[in-house]
Amino acid sequence: MAVGEEEVRHIALLARLHVTDQETEPLQRHLNDILEHFERLKGLDLVNVDPFAREDLDATPWREDVACSWEGREEALSEAPVRDGDFFRVPRILEGNDE
Amino acid sequence: MNRLQMSAADLARAVKNREVSAAENVQASIARIEEVEGRVHALLTPLFDRALEKAAQIDQKVGKGEDPGPLAGVPVIVKDNLCMRGLKTTCGSRMLENWRPPYDASTVRFMEEAGAVILGKANMDEFAMGSSTENSAFFPTLNPWDLDRVPGGSSGGSAASVACGYAPLALGSDTGGSIRQPAAFCGVYGLKPTYGLISRYGLVAFASSLDQVGPFSRSVEDLALVLNVLAKPDPADATSSRRERPDFMTFLGKENLKGLRVGVVSEFEAYPVQPEIKEAMERVQNILREAGARFSCVNLPTTIEAGLPCYYIIAPAEASSNLARYDGVRYGLSVEARNLGDLYMKTRGRGFGAEVKRRILTGTYVLSSGYYDAYYLVALKARTKISREFKEAFQDVDMLLMPTTPTLPFRQGENVEDPIQMYLGDVFTLPVNLASLPGLSLNAGYSKTGLPVGIQLVGPQWGEGTLLAAAEAVERVLGKPACAFGGV
Amino acid sequence: MRQPGSPVIGLEIHVQVATESKLFCACSTDYIGAVPNTHVCPVCLGQPGSLPVINGRVVEYAVRTALALGARVGKSTRFHRKNYFYPDLPKAYQISQYDRPLAEGGALPIGEGENRKEIPITRLHLEEDAGKLVHSAADGRLGHSEYSLVDYNRGGVPLMEIVSEPEISTPAEAREYVATLRQLVRYLGVSDGDMEKGSLRVDANVSLTGADGKLGTKVEIKNMNSLRALERALDYEIARQADLIRKGESVRQETRHWDDGNGLTCGTRGKEEAHDYRYFPEPDLPALVLPDGFVEKQRDIMPEMPWILKERFVTDWGLSLQDAAVLTELPGLSRYVEDCVREGADPQRAANWIRTEVLRVLNEKRIGIEDFGVPAENLSPLLVKIDRGELSTTLAKTVFDRMVAEGLTALEALEKIGAPSGRLTGERLRNVIERVLEKESSAVEEIKSGKDPKGKKRGFLCGQIMREARGQADPEEVAKTLSRFLGC
Repeated sequence: MAVGEEEVRHIALLARLHVTDQETEPLQRHLNDILEHFERLKGLDLVNVDPFAREDLDATPWREDVACSWEGREEALSEAPVRDGDFFRVPRILEGNDE
Repeated sequence: MNRLQMSAADLARAVKNREVSAAENVQASIARIEEVEGRVHALLTPLFDRALEKAAQIDQKVGKGEDPGPLAGVPVIVKDNLCMRGLKTTCGSRMLENWRPPYDASTVRFMEEAGAVILGKANMDEFAMGSSTENSAFFPTLNPWDLDRVPGGSSGGSAASVACGYAPLALGSDTGGSIRQPAAFCGVYGLKPTYGLISRYGLVAFASSLDQVGPFSRSVEDLALVLNVLAKPDPADATSSRRERPDFMTFLGKENLKGLRVGVVSEFEAYPVQPEIKEAMERVQNILREAGARFSCVNLPTTIEAGLPCYYIIAPAEASSNLARYDGVRYGLSVEARNLGDLYMKTRGRGFGAEVKRRILTGTYVLSSGYYDAYYLVALKARTKISREFKEAFQDVDMLLMPTTPTLPFRQGENVEDPIQMYLGDVFTLPVNLASLPGLSLNAGYSKTGLPVGIQLVGPQWGEGTLLAAAEAVERVLGKPACAFGGV
Repeated sequence: MRQPGSPVIGLEIHVQVATESKLFCACSTDYIGAVPNTHVCPVCLGQPGSLPVINGRVVEYAVRTALALGARVGKSTRFHRKNYFYPDLPKAYQISQYDRPLAEGGALPIGEGENRKEIPITRLHLEEDAGKLVHSAADGRLGHSEYSLVDYNRGGVPLMEIVSEPEISTPAEAREYVATLRQLVRYLGVSDGDMEKGSLRVDANVSLTGADGKLGTKVEIKNMNSLRALERALDYEIARQADLIRKGESVRQETRHWDDGNGLTCGTRGKEEAHDYRYFPEPDLPALVLPDGFVEKQRDIMPEMPWILKERFVTDWGLSLQDAAVLTELPGLSRYVEDCVREGADPQRAANWIRTEVLRVLNEKRIGIEDFGVPAENLSPLLVKIDRGELSTTLAKTVFDRMVAEGLTALEALEKIGAPSGRLTGERLRNVIERVLEKESSAVEEIKSGKDPKGKKRGFLCGQIMREARGQADPEEVAKTLSRFLGC
């Protein structure tokens, strides 16, 4: 079940990653190589094994519901590639972009 | 003693006792960096002026008789994926080349509150993905012991900094070996703590369920000292354990290791490793045995079989999600585009390097519809099984002894064309992350060609104390790791 | 089996949970009217390295809601990441719940008597809200905008998503379901439930049963900002689908937006990209475990559900369904009427008075019962006096208005008006009547000479007497005593 070029492009689109024509072939090769490596997992006996076994972790802690404001807002906004007053700005959104 | 060879503990004591000022420490470190950095390239962003200011503040504190903290005036290097407010934090990526975080990582705050002085941000593989620091978008760091070779990665800059005597301490992060492997390659100590011991808040995430911050040093005492500073419960990190931390210094100064049960992993013994590493294993085994430890064999069949594929599914999967936020809207690189979709594709296409793209694609693939069950879910189950296997092994032993890496530091460029060959080098380190265990890499001598050889101690969860005690026993015999370039 | 052509409706409702701070960070949830990007921090801006920590109150509120719906609350649940790219989603994933939601099952009762029906609930889960986009075009529409602006104030605000089974059969039922749910969250105090403000958002899945009795193609409708809009949108969509089927065309599976101005639903023109959200367990948040006794404690502090109250008002107090419905619409109002009755007022008297007088004042002042200046313990004595015949309804209204205007008790208001407290009877009443008859002697003459067949003049005299008595007389007694005076 080798991954074809079309599928590489589909995955790249899902990841919103532009890959050039030169990049596609090596990425495809890598993906197939690594998937072959993953085949090793197929031999494991995983019957009745809980996939969510981070049971060693403490249960998630709960925060108290207290609101407080943050003083770094201006710094964060100043990092915006395109800032528009109090906003972050993005270019035209096409309908295909709308998830 | 030569100041550059001095441990953090000694430096802090000297500052507290006014035998030396924090400013003098920092100036000495700066001089050393200026001397060596042109050859090693360990730092992305030096913070010398800021460091001198901070040092002056420490000295003022000492002057006024206030407690300057357990790391008073100790120079420290920090990996460039730990956020420092208002200072460039690049993660070794074009994507964040000019990003200045609006907040501090908890670990950075803990270090500064303890009086440590941060001298600079260390080079790393882009977003901590790599084992050679060649994946830095800016320049590779070179191995201080052989400039033709890699320092390891992804925390290569931090490891090389400590090996060169820039500072007695550095912070790194370890997702699959990124502290221990460069520590081994650079001949210093590197500790990956139990998952949850040290806060991840402000550590730019690679794979959240595997990432841990940890220290590099040239003395075991320094590891304990810095653990006391870093290992605090952090309410800002929900995966930070709330359990009470011991005073890590109490594990040191043990006369012997009587009663310590050490395991060697049969499957790892059978794994092909370079002869120098086999020899080092024996050397350390003998030292520990002399000190009173008893040895036995343990079996980790699933770990050796499934560890690598399991890791290379889970880590990229989490990474593909963690790195999705770099979209050119809020911070970092943003490529001029006609529309939003274009902005995403171009920014991410240009901002990420080859290895990051490989992992994002792999991670996206294993999570995508139709493949989740076949890959990601299976990997999660395999992870559970690996954790259990370790747990069972730790019924019989208190600690495992294993190589850190199968090879000595490799040459620059040697594995660049073959990413999977590079991945295979993580075989001994990444199971430790999968099972959330602590692992410590120590220097166990040098090859005939003068390359450092690292050996790894692995404990059960929260077993850092045992690792420190065992490492100290080795240090007593082999001495503290030396500085590269003679340490002036 | 369903009738061919009959509508099948399922509703997904997002309820904004009324907390002070956001779901995973301490930023204020008070985003309406706030300066853009002021209620933000590293966490809700998706800054690299930031981590989520859950707000405990959200868990409390969600569990109460689940209990009120009779849902099974999961002792240990978890969060997942839902991955997709959009500018209002700063991490490029939404933290939500997936395979193990906070609660499953349960039902919401709607309708009365014979029309009573239980709509089964599929699940209730927690998730974070997205930010808001402001589109640059003059009409505020996406399609016409050169660019858009992003405000993250709403990003991270806690939402409960409550999903019904597709067992709603008519738009009217859908409306009633939403109205009942809104009433429920208001009763519990877990949300203001305001549809216009967007704190209660309804998405509807609509299909028509096929000729074979099987479910037809499902269409999702969004953007209905009021109960009326919901009903209209469903009416329109059902007619649209029926029309397509009648014409032999097929219904396309899609998401359509309700356009309230034009009264129609419209689909997106472009082809819809298939979503692949790549859900996987959120590694930054360990399991959400409810401590022992937590659920029981939430159950103990929950108020009675409105539909149970309503039933009680009808059966215990003999109120009409309509009265009971009005009085249980809002939790404050039902508490108020219950308090009045507890203080001694007759339930029907209290119901009437609250429906007419209290609601009138609340409407005039545009305030809620919580801000009403006359507490139940003050209103109750007034109602008791009416029932005992110590006050006429007319005078009681005057007294009530003074109580409202000046924040007085009933007694204080009576004193201020100058009416003697206590009833005017016997000698004092006779004195008043004599005074009035003296003044109105011509009317007396006319009555005595039989010129008042319709009793108009007699009524006039009674009124004058009551006025003189400042309402403090029993009208019946006045009429009787007057007859004795007039001798007829």
